[in-house]
Amino acid sequence: MSFEWPWQYNFPPFFTLQPNVDTRQKQLAAWCSLTLSYCRHRKLYTLDVMEAQESPVFNNKKIERKLSVEAIQVVFEELRKKGNLEWMDKNKTRCLIMWRRPEEWGKLIYQWVSRNGMVNSVFTLYELSNGDDTEGEEFHGLEEWMLLRSLQALQTEGKAEIITMDDGKGVKFF
Amino acid sequence: MGNIFGRKRRPTRVTEQDRAILQLKQQRDKLKQYQKKITLQLEKERLLAKQLLKDGKKEKALLLLKKKRYQDQLLDKTENQISNLERMVQDIEFAQIEMKVIEGLKVGNECLKKMHEVMSIEEVERIMDETQDAIEYQRQIDDMLAGSLTQEDEDAVLAELEAITQGEEVELPEVPTESLPEVPEEEPEPEPEPERERAKKQPEREMLAA
Repeated sequence: MSFEWPWQYNFPPFFTLQPNVDTRQKQLAAWCSLTLSYCRHRKLYTLDVMEAQESPVFNNKKIERKLSVEAIQVVFEELRKKGNLEWMDKNKTRCLIMWRRPEEWGKLIYQWVSRNGMVNSVFTLYELSNGDDTEGEEFHGLEEWMLLRSLQALQTEGKAEIITMDDGKGVKFF
Repeated sequence: MGNIFGRKRRPTRVTEQDRAILQLKQQRDKLKQYQKKITLQLEKERLLAKQLLKDGKKEKALLLLKKKRYQDQLLDKTENQISNLERMVQDIEFAQIEMKVIEGLKVGNECLKKMHEVMSIEEVERIMDETQDAIEYQRQIDDMLAGSLTQEDEDAVLAELEAITQGEEVELPEVPTESLPEVPEEEPEPEPEPERERAKKQPEREMLAA
């Protein structure tokens, strides 16, 4: 399944931040949605600003345009404001990207658990994200931090409880 | 609100057994990872052995195959251990379910007991007696209201009937000769019995009064 680029992607001015406030707003919104859908397509959970510049999202080799690091920072900052992104360090070079909110992931996981009659069972995190049983589920291969957050979201709803043990974590669904 | 209570209840929701299961599953995960590692290694070594054979290094290839064989055995053992662990997990889970069943039975038993305490045999007997009394009482009231006769009255009536039939012929009215008018079907047949009785009772009362 190939990724469908939006029309703006082949529109050179899209790769330069626009000075007009209104235009810029629209441009940023388009960038945000492009970034999120691209990450969703590639199942990316962390991004590096420097690397991002080389990735096809921000670098359209066909029209020889790429978004500058500063502009990428602006886009990322915009995503952070929307709650889709979190910086991993103070220098803002790496970030966690959440193209699906933890609550939604939690819902998906819980749906799978209840569909398989495994409410009231204990799971290891590895089992959930890498086990044979979850093969083909959307959350298969989910990075641990994201998995943990979605489970925490479920925990606040009272549908799960995270168990911490010496070597690794587990979760029990209710 | 659920949150406040949820937080308080939380520590009790994960039992010792859950922790044990988690530990077993973690162990299993480690074995699975190990399995993955070995499988990948095996694949690599097989290719390497092929390469060595091509290059004419038979000795080395043989050595490599020996190593591979050993790892194959390891893989088998790992498989066994994983299934052991999984069986254990299932056993624990099933025991947990059994425990819950017993708990449920216990609650039911207790509930039954409590209800039985409320309904002791003596109590039931007493209630049944009282009910019987009440039915009797009600029947008496019914009798009174309906004005039906007591056994005594009944006897007296019979005695009188005897006296009359022995003494004289009862005068019967003549049988009418004309045909009867058509009667609607649904009309119930007239019951002559109570009327006659009442008629007989009348003179008796008069006799008593006299």
